[in-house]
Amino acid sequence: MLAVARSDAPSGADSVDRAVDLVHSSPARAQRRGDSSFTGLIPFLVFIALFLGVPICGIVLSAFRVADVNDPGSYVPSLANFVASFRGASWDAMQNSLQISVIAALIGGVVGLALAQAILTTRSKKLIAVVTVLTSVLANSGGVPLAFSFIAAVGNAGIMTGLLSLTDLGFTLYSSGGLILMYQYFLIPTMVMVVLPTLAGLRLEWKEAAASVGATSWYFWKKVGLPIATPAILAGFVLLFGASFATHASAAALIGGGGVPLITLRIDSGLAGGNLAGQENVAMALGVNMIVVALVVLLIYMPLQKRSLKWFK
Amino acid sequence: MVQMRQSTRATRGIRVVAPGLSWALIILVALYIAVPMLCALAFSIYVPTTGFTFVPYLESVRDPGFFGALSLTLLITVLTVVGLLAIMVPTMVYLHLKAPRWRPVIEIVCTIPLVVPSIALAAGLVTVLRSMASFGRGSVPAQISQLLQNPDLPIVLVGSYIVLTLPFVFRSLDAGLRTIDLRTLVESAHSLGASGATVLRRVILPNVKGPVIFCAFFCIALCLGEFTMAVTLGYRTLPVWLTQIAGSNFRASISMSLLINALTWALLIAMTVLAGRAAPARVLALKGHKS
Repeated sequence: MLAVARSDAPSGADSVDRAVDLVHSSPARAQRRGDSSFTGLIPFLVFIALFLGVPICGIVLSAFRVADVNDPGSYVPSLANFVASFRGASWDAMQNSLQISVIAALIGGVVGLALAQAILTTRSKKLIAVVTVLTSVLANSGGVPLAFSFIAAVGNAGIMTGLLSLTDLGFTLYSSGGLILMYQYFLIPTMVMVVLPTLAGLRLEWKEAAASVGATSWYFWKKVGLPIATPAILAGFVLLFGASFATHASAAALIGGGGVPLITLRIDSGLAGGNLAGQENVAMALGVNMIVVALVVLLIYMPLQKRSLKWFK
Repeated sequence: MVQMRQSTRATRGIRVVAPGLSWALIILVALYIAVPMLCALAFSIYVPTTGFTFVPYLESVRDPGFFGALSLTLLITVLTVVGLLAIMVPTMVYLHLKAPRWRPVIEIVCTIPLVVPSIALAAGLVTVLRSMASFGRGSVPAQISQLLQNPDLPIVLVGSYIVLTLPFVFRSLDAGLRTIDLRTLVESAHSLGASGATVLRRVILPNVKGPVIFCAFFCIALCLGEFTMAVTLGYRTLPVWLTQIAGSNFRASISMSLLINALTWALLIAMTVLAGRAAPARVLALKGHKS
């Protein structure tokens, strides 16, 4: 009897504790309890420090130092890598990447927006369901297989190149234009994915309501439709820009080292060249520049995305 | 009757252009999506001189580098999925249960990989590993650097892939855990005498099975297709091997790339269908690392 009572004691005490907890589980108490606990997050934080913190510190530190000319093998802090990253071939690559990304995002944005509206116009539930799945798959497609399929289709010996005699038209896949064409494969679906929910949320009833108080179609779009859709459209464009700018795998598989200057490929070649003439550290500065661009993209995207959902909560 | 009319009404968007024009645009984009894949398929099964053939597929499998690349990729994939779930499921449960105040911090940390393009992350790892190796043979940093880069077990790649999935995984698990009454579940299980591990395995996991499978599929798809980090860190995974044989045997490389692509798409389709409608909030997390 006593033994049973004793063996029950810890869990008995526990459940009393819990009962007390439950009775007092006001938000303030939950907060206090949350405050004291932290130990369970340590494995995660250690992992993050190792695989995210260390590489980021590595790239930033390397970007801000150059080899010491007086003492080979050691480094001195310097801004020279950033200066170099805004000059010559590195700057060309940066500019070209920015230019390709803006054009690709504009094309993908316009086509994606039109496509999303076209899909809604068909009023086919089945099509919308299929498109929803397909866009999230295609938005993630890319990399080596994407480059290879485009080579098979419109590359030098591609099937469509022969059929449509694209070479005679002056088209080549291994150019900025070719990259823009290829990027649309994941950009258009991304745009559809971003704007479709918003466009679908624009109810016919709203337009009818506007019409019943005398608004023309044009007036409805100006005063209701566009203001509601604009945040989503801008968010989509910004996201497309960021996705094009950071694209490396498919571009590398398509044009490798030469041909089209791109910031991602420039980082590649800087790393491959070892520390010859300090190129590795310039590559790190380019990496930091990319992080800054991506950060700006994210900071613009997030509030826009949040606002695009405002009407549809 | 009224209900029926309302439900059809809900799917009625606003028409801007004529349906005919809409279909034309849809067909045009569908062609743009389908043609490259069909051309790749044609390339892999039709050789002008010999006609229909499966030789490119056989050649890709017979390539001396194929099995090495395949086994390395599979090993990385398994380790990444296991490592990801082992780290993130307990962390997210703990976060919801015991440390809700830390949630914003962890959310920001998990969003950082979106801001660091994978080429930049790879560059950072390369510079750290190189400078550790430069301490000289046998020194502790050089040994750690070697251990992380073990050619047969690239821990550095596994860790990086886990990092790349975090923005997506955080949102997915966070949303999953929010839909269940975690505290009540855990407290009832405890009061019935279940230990912490048992609660996690037999009470919490079955309740977040959907998001967990979702994360695993996404992670597998990423591991099978990731190119940038693998090539920069010098590992011959399947995508890297594909680009290496493309120069000498393009038909073989394209046939294997089609198979990998089909598998990736199947995983992503299964994942999206399982999750139901893709929520717009997921867009950001879904984007960015494969292209």
